[in-house]
Parts: sequence; C-alpha cells; structure tokens
Amino acid sequence: MHLLPVALLPLCSLLLRPLRALVARGWLRESDVDAWLALLNPGLRLNRVMARVAARHWVAEDMLALTLRPNGNWRGAQPGQHVQLYIERDGVRLGRSYSLIGVGADGSLQIAIKRQSGGRVSPYLLEHLAVGAWLELGSVQGELHWPQQAPGVLLLAAGSGITPLLGLLRSALAQGFAAPVTLLHYVREQGQRAFVEELQALQARHANLQVRWALTGQGEAPAELQGRFAAKHLQGIGDVAQHAVLSCGPAGFVGAVQQWWQALGSQAELQVEAFTPPPLSAGNERREVQLSLARSRQVLSAHNQASLLEQVEAHGLRPAHGCRQGICASCTCTLVSGVVRDMRSGALLAEPGQAIRLCISAPQGDVEIEL
Amino acid sequence: MNNRQDRQLSPAELDAFGAELDALRQRTLADLGEADARYIRRIRTAVRFCCWSGRGLLMFGWFPPTWLLGSLLLGLGKILENMELGHNVLHGQYDWMNDPEFAGRSYEWDIAGPSDFWRHTHNHVHHTWTNVLGMDDDVGYGVVRLFPEQRWKPFYRWQPLWVTLQAVLFQYSVAIQHLRLDKVYKGKLSKAEVRPLIKQFNAKLLRQWGKDYLFFPLLALLLGANALAVLAGNVLANLLRNLWTFTVIFCGHFTEQAAVFSKESVVGESRGHWYLRQLRGSSNLNGGPLFHILTGNLSHQIEHHLFPDLPARRYAALAVEVREIAERYGQHYNSGSLWRQFATVLKRIWIYRRAPVEPLAASV
Repeated sequence: MHLLPVALLPLCSLLLRPLRALVARGWLRESDVDAWLALLNPGLRLNRVMARVAARHWVAEDMLALTLRPNGNWRGAQPGQHVQLYIERDGVRLGRSYSLIGVGADGSLQIAIKRQSGGRVSPYLLEHLAVGAWLELGSVQGELHWPQQAPGVLLLAAGSGITPLLGLLRSALAQGFAAPVTLLHYVREQGQRAFVEELQALQARHANLQVRWALTGQGEAPAELQGRFAAKHLQGIGDVAQHAVLSCGPAGFVGAVQQWWQALGSQAELQVEAFTPPPLSAGNERREVQLSLARSRQVLSAHNQASLLEQVEAHGLRPAHGCRQGICASCTCTLVSGVVRDMRSGALLAEPGQAIRLCISAPQGDVEIEL
Repeated sequence: MNNRQDRQLSPAELDAFGAELDALRQRTLADLGEADARYIRRIRTAVRFCCWSGRGLLMFGWFPPTWLLGSLLLGLGKILENMELGHNVLHGQYDWMNDPEFAGRSYEWDIAGPSDFWRHTHNHVHHTWTNVLGMDDDVGYGVVRLFPEQRWKPFYRWQPLWVTLQAVLFQYSVAIQHLRLDKVYKGKLSKAEVRPLIKQFNAKLLRQWGKDYLFFPLLALLLGANALAVLAGNVLANLLRNLWTFTVIFCGHFTEQAAVFSKESVVGESRGHWYLRQLRGSSNLNGGPLFHILTGNLSHQIEHHLFPDLPARRYAALAVEVREIAERYGQHYNSGSLWRQFATVLKRIWIYRRAPVEPLAASV
C-alpha cells in the first residue's frame, strides 16, 4: 500500500505548484523532488507524466490493447493522435509512439501495440508488462482529424495503422456521424485482423459503417479481399472521389494510396500518416536527404557525406558547439527521428530521443533533430 | 625536472596507436548497459543519502559527534556529486541512457560555477587542448607557474600563497575561469560581453549560497536548532570538498612526469596525436575502488582524457589495456600514489615561483 492512494494523484498536481515553480527557477533539482514524490506514490511526479497499466487484452494474434491511467500531469489528447511511451531496457530509456484508440471520460487512455518482431520495445511490452505497472508517457502529436463535413469517409489502414483510424472512428460514431464510412484494413494473415469483434459490433449498430479486410500474405481466405492495396478493392463503395480519405500505415502503403489518390483527381480531403521507414542499410554513396529542425521549424536539404553541424552551419544556423571532433559534447542534440551515422565508428544510430553529437554525425536518411 | 623517456612515433605509428585506442573505445561503448545505468543511479542515491543525512545531523547543533559526522557526510555528498556524478554526467558519459536526469547537456551541479561555464572551459577548452601552453587555461589557472616553459611574471613569486588561496576557494576559482577577467582587465574583452556571464554566475551563486548559508540555517532557527552550527557545518563541508577536488585535479596534469606542449605542435593534429598528447599530459593516482570513486575516477586521469565520454566506472578496466598499449609504443605511463604525485606538484609550485636563470648568450 502506498502512502498516497492513486485516487488522490490528480489532486496533487495543484498542490505541487509551488515546488514546480522552484524547480523551474533552478532552486530545486527536479529528480530529487521526484524521488521524494515517488516514495509517496510510484505514479507521483512533479512534471513527468506517469501512467498505470489498468488493463490489457489481446485484440489480434500480435496486437495488445492497454488501458492506461495517467497521473495529474497528463494534459489530454484526442483519439487518433499518438503519444510517446517510454520504458527502460538494458539501462537505456527507449521511446516509441503509439496511437490513442480511445480516451475515456474518466481520463483513461487506450493504446494498442503491435508486435514488431526483433524490436526492442514491443515484444517486451507484449510479454512482460503487467497490470499495475507504471510507464512514462511523453509528448502527444498527430494531426489526423475526423472529416466532419464529408459526404462519405474512406479509412485505409495497413498493419498497426488501424489504431489511429479506429480511435477517430469510435469517437465519430459515438457522436452520431451518419454519412457512409468504409474501413479497409490490410494485414498479412487472418489472425492479424485486429479489433474484429468490436468492429463487427460497431457494424451491427451503425448501418453506415462497412468494414473489410484484405490479406496481403499467402494464406487463402475466401471471405476477405486479397493482395496489396488496389483500386479494385474499393468497388461497391459508391463515388469514391466524393469520399474524404484517411490513410495510415507503413510508408510504402501510404505512398501507394497517395498515388491512387492523385490519379483519381478527387477534390475531397486526403489525410495520411506514415510510420518512419526502417533504418537504411549502410550504403555510403552520396545521397540527398531532408533535414528537419524541430525547434526552429525548418526543413533543410542536406546530404549524407558531411556532419550535421557543418550542414546546418552552411544553412546559416549557429548551433552550440565546441571541439568539432567529438570530444567535448558541446553540440549534443536530441535525435527525434531518422538514422544518423557516427562518422568515427560508422555505427548507425536510430533510437528516437537519443543524444547525438552534431559534429560527428552524418544523416543517413531523412532526419529530424531537436534544434 | 621532467625525465620522460618517450619514443618518438612516426605518423604511421601514430595512426596505428590511434586506431588501437579507437577500437578499445568502440568495444567499451558496445558493452554499455544495465550495469552502468544501475551504477550511476546508485551513486546518485548515495549522494542524496550523504547530503540529506548530513543536513539532518547538523540540526543537532554543536554536539561534536553529530556536528562532525554531519559536516563530513555533507562534504562527502558534495564530493561525490561534483566528482563521480556531476563531472562525469556533464561529459555526456551517460547520454546513451536517454535519461533526462543524466543528460550532460542539462545537468546542473551542486557547486558555485554554472554547468554551462564548465561545459565550455573544461569539456571543450581543457579536453581539446590539454596541457597546450597558451590554449589550456587549466595549466595553472592563470595564477600558478608550473612548467619552465611558462613565461615568468613577478606575480608568480608568491604563488605558494596564491595556490593555498585557490585550494580553499577552489569552487570559485573554477567558476570565474569562464569570465576571463584577465582579458577584461587588459581590455581585450568588453564589459558588455562579460555582463551576461556575470549575471549567470551571480544567479548560480545566489542559489548556492541561498541553499547552504541561508535556507538551512534559517530552517534550523525555525526548528529551534542552532543556526550557527548549521552554517559552520556547511562552510566546513564546502571547504573539505574544495580541498579534495583541488588536490585531485592538480595531480591530473601537473605532476613531475606530465608533459606540456607548444601551440605549434598541435596545428593540424591527427586523432592519434591527440591521443598521444592526452597520454603524455595526464597522470594517474593509484588506490583502491573507494578512492577511485571519491576522485570521480579522475585517478584514472589518462583514461579519462583518452575517453572523456565513456562512463568513468570503466576506466579501471581500460587502464590495464591502455598501459599495455602505451608500453608497446614506448610511452611512459605516468602513475603513482596520491601523496607521491601531489608532492611533485608542490615541488613544481615551489621551484617555478622563481624567475628562470637567464642562459648566457655565448654558451650556445
């Protein structure tokens, strides 16, 4: 039993305000305050968002839904957005983004996690994360929103791309969205179809909803569509060009949808969200890449042959730096997404949230850094 | 007084030397994990335990056992925080953990000098230009002449006195290094340029003094304890930390066998040459595991200078291999007990306070 019951956590947030002010002005060290607070309750922190795992249930063979109860520092989010979730593995804090499939009236959140075989985070979460455990949550992002005015909505998902779309769909139907909605979910095998029972129940309750699955793997299943995304899968939907389209999945899938969309020449809305492409293999021939600077909100053209420091300086920026040879760590910066190459060792770094040194890191593909 | 017998390395040998040390670095980097993370968190917890229990004991007033133990614990906590935790975290040694608490770019330590100052004067200037005269301000910190190659000034005559003052006030001496008051005095730096730095320095000083010399004594007053005893305990703890860090740091690069370098020697320097300079310019201290922790593993100064961004707890193991590599390349590995090494530093302070005897022009 903890000194402070979980139920009182949201209340504490207000009481901690004076401490927060002292920490912000450098009079107290946040980690020291957090250590005391954690003694009262493992979920109590000054600023950091901690969430308790309230429930877990399997929604597909390789997908687990988690219900999380965040502490009082949670600032809320919309279904369809994604939240950064942190765990520690082998001494390293790892962050991954997961889409919110539901936001409860009681402040609880629901996310779904698909197993990435060979991944460092999802297999661990699926197998070892127990009800009652505490996780840290980070920033909330994502621009996907429900096209409220559209005469029809087409949702195209592949793999775990179902999660943000399901979040949006649930809340739209709950709010009485009445225009026709078609959800098409691409998975490799029959067992990977996620939220089948829930989707079928929604279909039974809402006559305007139609759900279909397409199998891209080898197995034959006569009830489902076959193969990767193709225009023929959309037969029987009516005038597709009038539908607002939301698409989410791996970069290849989203790209195929965008091509089809352009060929269609539709006037309606298209929203897409692609997962970060997997790390590139170490090919060292010169390649043009895109460099996004998160803090200064700039996108620069760059290449993979010179350090990030040299390249941003060539664009007129003046980031903090020192020795320019990887000794002093003055130019340390956070990697938001993408892959960089350590120019001294050739090692590839792709961990979101990782600290990298601009002077010895070259972009390996499109990269976003906290600058 | 320097009698190093180092073999001159050809450019090819230097490259091979650098490659061996690079490989050693890579092997260690690849092996970092759970144990290193657990270690630094334990150090952090030890710091909290020492500081908080020390402050608690000081609330019992002048009663000698509690006052002395309280002051010692607080001093120990500050030493651990500055050396094994702060200094090493600020080097980015634990950046790979992705834990904001141990992020080198944002950590603020419990000492007068702002971390930002340190990241520049120490991480950048000192570690890049180690023992290069005219570039590494840590060589004597501008108040001490330690090598015959340094130009003598009348001011150095009383350097034993300056060094004593510096040892007692070491945290302030380190802090104001970044303000470059000498350049301001000479007019090379305008007051307007220094003003924001002074503002930053004052803000940090206010927090440090406010905590140690105002808040806790006032808290004692409020609790009906002896405020003066608390104040004195804080002064003693800070003094102990100053003397200890001074001793360890002066043993790092100013011992008998430590080498200094000219500005010309580092023009277009290769990575191998940088490694070589770190090895020649640094000196180690022998001791047990607890001693190494208390010095923040700066007792492995050579390894720290070769690999400033590897977790310091790895230096002991690295030292075995570095010593072997140094031997193969015919390089002296400068290591000795604390007191032997410190005695040679004191000797330097004493000897080089005097102006060099002018060599006779005819004797060439």
